[in-house]
Amino acid sequence: MTAEATASRPSRSGLRWGRLLLSDYAVLVLSAGWFVGVMPLAPGFATWENLANLVGGMLPLLVVATGQTLVLITGGIDLSVTSTIALASVVGARVMSGDSGWLGGSVLAVPAGVAAMLAVGAAVGGLNGAAVTVLRMPPFIVTLTTMMFVSGFAIWWTQSRNIGGLPAGFVAIGARTLPALLVALGVAGAAHAVLTRSLAGRWAYAIGHNPRAAFISGVPVRRVTLLVYVACGCGAAVASVLYTGRLEAGSPVHGQRILLDVIGAAVLGGTSLFGGRGTVVGTAFGVLFLGLLDNSLNLLNLSHFTIMMTKGAVILVAAWMDTVRRRLDTA
Amino acid sequence: MIACRGIVKRFGGVPVLRGVSFALSGGRTLGLVGENGAGKTTLMNILGGHYPPDEGRMWLGGVPYVPRHPQDAARCGVAFIHQELNLFGNLSIAENLFLTAFPTVGRLPCIHRGNLRRRAAALLEEVGLSAGPDTPVERLSAGEQQLVEIAKALSLDARLMIFDEPTTSLTRQETERLFARMGQLRVRGLSLIYISHNLEDVLRLCDDIVVLRDGEQVGGGPRAAFTVDRLVSMMVGRSITRLFPARAAPVSAPPLLEVRHLTQPGMVADITFTLHRGEVLGLAGLMGSGRSELARILFGLDPFARGEIRLAGRPLRPAPRRSIRRGLALVTENRREEGLCLEAAIADNLALVTLAAHARGPFGWLERAGLRRAIEGVRGAVRLTPTAPDAAPASTLSGGNQQKVVLAKWLLARPAVWILDEPTRGIDVGAKSELYQLISDLASEGTGVLVISSEIEELFGLCDRILVLSRGEIRDELARDAFDRERVLRAALGERPRPGVLS
Amino acid sequence: MGPPENRDAEAGKLTARTQAIMKRMLPMLRGIGGLALAAVLGLSGCGRPGGTSADAGGQGPMTVGVSFETLQTEFWVAALEAFREELGKRNMRMLEAVADGDANRQLEQVKSFITRKVDGLVVVPKDAKTIIPVLKSANRAGIPIVLFNRPPDKSEARSVTVVADNYAITRATVDYMVRQAVRGGRKHKAMILIGDLGDINSIGRRDGFDDVVKAHPGAIEVVARIPTEWNQEKALAGVVNALQAHPDTSFIFTSSDFLFPSVVSALKSAGKYWKVGEPGHVWLGGFDGDGMAYQMLVDGYLDADGVQDVYFEAAAAVQAIVDLKAGKAVPERIEDVGFVIHQGNVKEMAPRMWGARTRRQGERPPGP
Repeated sequence: MTAEATASRPSRSGLRWGRLLLSDYAVLVLSAGWFVGVMPLAPGFATWENLANLVGGMLPLLVVATGQTLVLITGGIDLSVTSTIALASVVGARVMSGDSGWLGGSVLAVPAGVAAMLAVGAAVGGLNGAAVTVLRMPPFIVTLTTMMFVSGFAIWWTQSRNIGGLPAGFVAIGARTLPALLVALGVAGAAHAVLTRSLAGRWAYAIGHNPRAAFISGVPVRRVTLLVYVACGCGAAVASVLYTGRLEAGSPVHGQRILLDVIGAAVLGGTSLFGGRGTVVGTAFGVLFLGLLDNSLNLLNLSHFTIMMTKGAVILVAAWMDTVRRRLDTA
Repeated sequence: MIACRGIVKRFGGVPVLRGVSFALSGGRTLGLVGENGAGKTTLMNILGGHYPPDEGRMWLGGVPYVPRHPQDAARCGVAFIHQELNLFGNLSIAENLFLTAFPTVGRLPCIHRGNLRRRAAALLEEVGLSAGPDTPVERLSAGEQQLVEIAKALSLDARLMIFDEPTTSLTRQETERLFARMGQLRVRGLSLIYISHNLEDVLRLCDDIVVLRDGEQVGGGPRAAFTVDRLVSMMVGRSITRLFPARAAPVSAPPLLEVRHLTQPGMVADITFTLHRGEVLGLAGLMGSGRSELARILFGLDPFARGEIRLAGRPLRPAPRRSIRRGLALVTENRREEGLCLEAAIADNLALVTLAAHARGPFGWLERAGLRRAIEGVRGAVRLTPTAPDAAPASTLSGGNQQKVVLAKWLLARPAVWILDEPTRGIDVGAKSELYQLISDLASEGTGVLVISSEIEELFGLCDRILVLSRGEIRDELARDAFDRERVLRAALGERPRPGVLS
Repeated sequence: MGPPENRDAEAGKLTARTQAIMKRMLPMLRGIGGLALAAVLGLSGCGRPGGTSADAGGQGPMTVGVSFETLQTEFWVAALEAFREELGKRNMRMLEAVADGDANRQLEQVKSFITRKVDGLVVVPKDAKTIIPVLKSANRAGIPIVLFNRPPDKSEARSVTVVADNYAITRATVDYMVRQAVRGGRKHKAMILIGDLGDINSIGRRDGFDDVVKAHPGAIEVVARIPTEWNQEKALAGVVNALQAHPDTSFIFTSSDFLFPSVVSALKSAGKYWKVGEPGHVWLGGFDGDGMAYQMLVDGYLDADGVQDVYFEAAAAVQAIVDLKAGKAVPERIEDVGFVIHQGNVKEMAPRMWGARTRRQGERPPGP
């Protein structure tokens, strides 16, 4: 309503820009602007090879961030996704590895390995979801401790050793751009459809907006919340398939450092840390923007420290915009 | 003391105030009435320095008054007593009083505790609050907190005090006590502005009245010139001939909801009653008498220890999803916290209860055309404002329309029994009469309605029968022909009715 | 008149409030946008040689992409600086990237270097296995790749690795210390702080120490072997306990300089921290060549330190790229035998000790 009222007065173009900056598409505009702005400064940036490389590197992040978006929409948070990636990676590798795997060399190795990885994701997600819904613990603490436990377990179990010798069929899923693209877009597309078109999706938004009102209105709050954490865990597991394939080794520290990117991408894409707001499309744009930022700042040959500071500032601004949006809505 | 002449305010070209003028001398009270959205809040925000008027001038104590910030206004002696209290519950009364200007030890940046306590105690005595200055504010009742607000205003040497709906969360006794304090403030020569939807209170309390409608000053003058009916017709721009719809007394209908010996220690005790098809049954009582608790237990939000609930002849073990399936609907008293997803779209709020009915297949894909039709239909049924698009957040609606959304989302589920907890709280007169009509229609269609309200008039106008609760027990039961204000009040205060009334 | 009109007024009010908030925030938004842009442009402007990145490839000087796994310790910062210096000396351009501990990011960064057609790659791998896809990518593109400090696992991928010979450097260091310490027939009770035994470097250093000590039976008796798992707290607790059990300990070797704070603190509280030559001095040796070790040498507390010759390693890595580019054969493994710095050669060797340089720069990490 307010957007229309504002747009009908073209004299207030400043306001219109402000509105756009605060809308869910802000980050797409930002990405386009950044792209155009950096193109002349960073030679080799706008080449097909570079962009293909950039997209290929971003796909696993897109999958994790999609799962995270689901959880954030219900007003929760899942800090354990990174350790889920690690555990799924080493479990899958233990199953499949041609050197030492339980099913090494068997035709069943790849399907069984992938199934085991998904099971790990679902189990960790289920654990988080159960603690949040049944024990009514705050998601932040639950998933923080899960993160520590799962990560610790993965490192202890492998004694910090990576597991190589993965079957070529498995490696191809993550290492080749096309299959990875299909997997990532499939996951994101499915999540998008569920959020926008399905009962569970609409319920998830309602829970994020107001869990009390949703509960009284007959929304199965616990079931949906549990489901969302399981989905997030599975998302992390799929991301783990891509990471592990890309790097051709199962490692207990895969993804250890990407938590800020995961949550940052979702928030950049307009997902609210307060719950109730967010889209997979927005998150995809957020991932795209972080990828562009990383890639282009490297091409500008900035020092590592500058890149970290810039990224931190950008995510901070995104989180701040989230707060502003909320204030506008409740004003 | 305070005077305004020709105040005009536009927001983005839309006039919200179109020339408001009034003058108020010391020791007098001005009543400001108008429906929600009439411009009362805008006028107060201008007085409080939140933003300047586009046209018009103000004077305070004879000199031009041009506040630039809220702090400016406070310095000039303009104080607000808000509907929502602005106190810090975890701090003591004394700390709240002097939060912006702690008395210090000499020039040192240390708080002079003794001094603080002495001055706070003096202020509390002035407003007639018996609590000690060290009491944490959260331990005070709403009425007592209001007194703390007034004491805070006094500590800032306020000359003009503006009361914005101060009585919404007060019991009647507390309200009377507040009015007595306000009388004392007038005697001290303060000017008061009183904003309220309770027109009787306004007429009782105020010397002069200003009526706003759509930003326009549609009337004003000394109290003697007004009656409640005249105020109402000026506010809504038409005369509401009947606030309450006519209701045909239900013939002896079959029982719908039967409650037997319902007990939950500390909440309700041995509650027994029957709600019939087509009946509107009122629950009266003071705050904390167990009315809302009873509603929540019936719907399944809270547990009960003993007793039995039967719905349409079959036992009901309440839990929200099961209760809804069996045909129960609950409109809670706090629609912002429990009724609506305020930031979610109107359409999403409307769909929330019945969403599952539109899901198809194992993945629960929503059949969106049907959903849209249902929403369109129910918007018409509750006469929700047609100007608000489905996608707008519910928070953009006025209170009355928000409440219509809550009713509408339940209406889609076609419930057999409605439990309405304070359904018209904070809603303007026009919307109230529409809601009354809606409730009456629901009953005529054969549903049973349980209404909780703190306004006795409302219960008298709506209900076929009233139960009065006190300390978790039913103390009295009144049929329509026996409605009597005093009797309800006595029962609510815990007096036992004469023997033989409860059969 | 009725509710619809009401709502319009309400709507107007809300729009107006939204606008009022927006109006207040616009300057802020603009300000932040401007600031961010200025910051980025400013930082990119004040770059180093090679900071004004032109595209690599084609004519002109050679370009080398340098990817580090982390910059979280002084050593890596010094090493990156060594590459910057070496490449500058040879008038070559350097592109840098830091993977921040993430193997996937490292792969992406190296691929990005490859698309920019660099002439050579220097990579500090995240680990021995996940580097293999990186090597394969470089091989496919025909770009020479040198791994710094960590060798890869066996695979069909081709690469050159420059590593410090932990065993040899430790052996030389401990050998120097023992020869000095046993002069005049003195006997010592010794203590060694051992690193994480999952780390091949720790094992090399431990073996270097053991082999020297074995060659002096009777003169050096090892009374405590403290497992630290590369953890300063564990090191401190271990040394304190060992000193209590063996108060007459007079010889300590730590497998890494970064454990010196723990050793020094334990010695101080036992009243055994004395300069070289003072009565009660405990013989101290370490490995790495960091800033603290340099300071202890200069102040006269440290006897000897095994130093990784970062400058030699950087030069060797770059030379390997030049040679590979020219089609010359280069061995798969280039070892840095380092050197021992001790009280007798501090002045002479300090310029080649990386820790001495960082210490002299006031511990300010190079960078923006």
